[in-house]
Amino acid sequence: MLQPKRTTYRKAHKGRIKGIARAGFTLNFGAFGLKALEPERITARQIEAARRAITREMKRAGRVWIRIFPDVPVSTKPAEVRMGSGKGAPEFWVCRVKPGRIMFEIDGVPLETARAALALGAAKLPIKTKLVQRLGAEA
Amino acid sequence: MVQIYRIPAVAREQAGKGAARATRRSGLVPGVIYGAKLPSTMVSLDPRVVMKELHKGGWQSHLYDIEVEGGSTERVLMREVQFHPVSDKPLHVDFQRLAPGARIKVKVPVAFTNEDICPGLKAGGVLNVVRREIEVLAEPANVPEAFHIDLSEANIGASLRLSMIKDLLGAKSVIQGRDFMVASIAAPTVDADLAPPPPPPEPVKGKGKAAAKPAAAAPAAAKPAAKKK
Repeated sequence: MLQPKRTTYRKAHKGRIKGIARAGFTLNFGAFGLKALEPERITARQIEAARRAITREMKRAGRVWIRIFPDVPVSTKPAEVRMGSGKGAPEFWVCRVKPGRIMFEIDGVPLETARAALALGAAKLPIKTKLVQRLGAEA
Repeated sequence: MVQIYRIPAVAREQAGKGAARATRRSGLVPGVIYGAKLPSTMVSLDPRVVMKELHKGGWQSHLYDIEVEGGSTERVLMREVQFHPVSDKPLHVDFQRLAPGARIKVKVPVAFTNEDICPGLKAGGVLNVVRREIEVLAEPANVPEAFHIDLSEANIGASLRLSMIKDLLGAKSVIQGRDFMVASIAAPTVDADLAPPPPPPEPVKGKGKAAAKPAAAAPAAAKPAAKKK
């Protein structure tokens, strides 16, 4: 699963996801992509599950690019622990995704395969998404 | 002879984001025509016409005639289109006016031919496109529709460079002095998830030491579990 090799600080604030994507909203590598339509925290497990689903459906053909990286640690408190006495231990990593963000890109497969693969990948994610493709590619 | 596409437009009076937003609210897309050392003209366009042209492909190398309602007709290149990050609707279009007699810088799309018989792709390789467009200097009347690269002899590991384009059709690459890479045929990446599972161990025949070991190890492994009970 994706996670940073080292970080400046162990724990991060929860934060809020406001606004829409101002970068990373155009296709840069592949011919097809999966675009987020809602703001949400995407965990490293969800990214990995989506990547596996996409790669399996593509059956070794083509290439997959992951355009998001989970670099925000999320901490949780153990079960049955009273409130207070400090922040919990880091448990998992997430990526804050804004609407418009391209999360995955694929190339080297026809449109039907790309549509099926990205639909399976989207099913692993907690947000609404849409398939995007290069302008003029369908001509 | 290069094909000219026509786009109807309406002149826009006011500049700035307020006026541009008002144009968008009225269902049109704001745009601007600049270049050729003339004052810029602000226009508004029908988004359906813009999207129709964009979906045709190769819009960066096409020539357009913008017919401003009640005004002049300008021959232009579509330089940049801004899109909304979420809805992907066009927000603004830049057109560059063509100066008479001047060569223009355009991005010409690269098309790959004979992908069906490419030995590298047949062997499971992946076409890794580095540049989908090549920026060239060309005469406005002779802008190529596309550059074609033949893949019929490209094997895995082959790098497809500018020199492999059969005919630049009178255009001249903006990048000079190096034969830059346009695409390559990469070897297939082996994913651990998709690798076939290892075959189950075959039962060992005979009475040698190797045959006795697994049998002896089995009760030993079962012991801790039995103790727990």
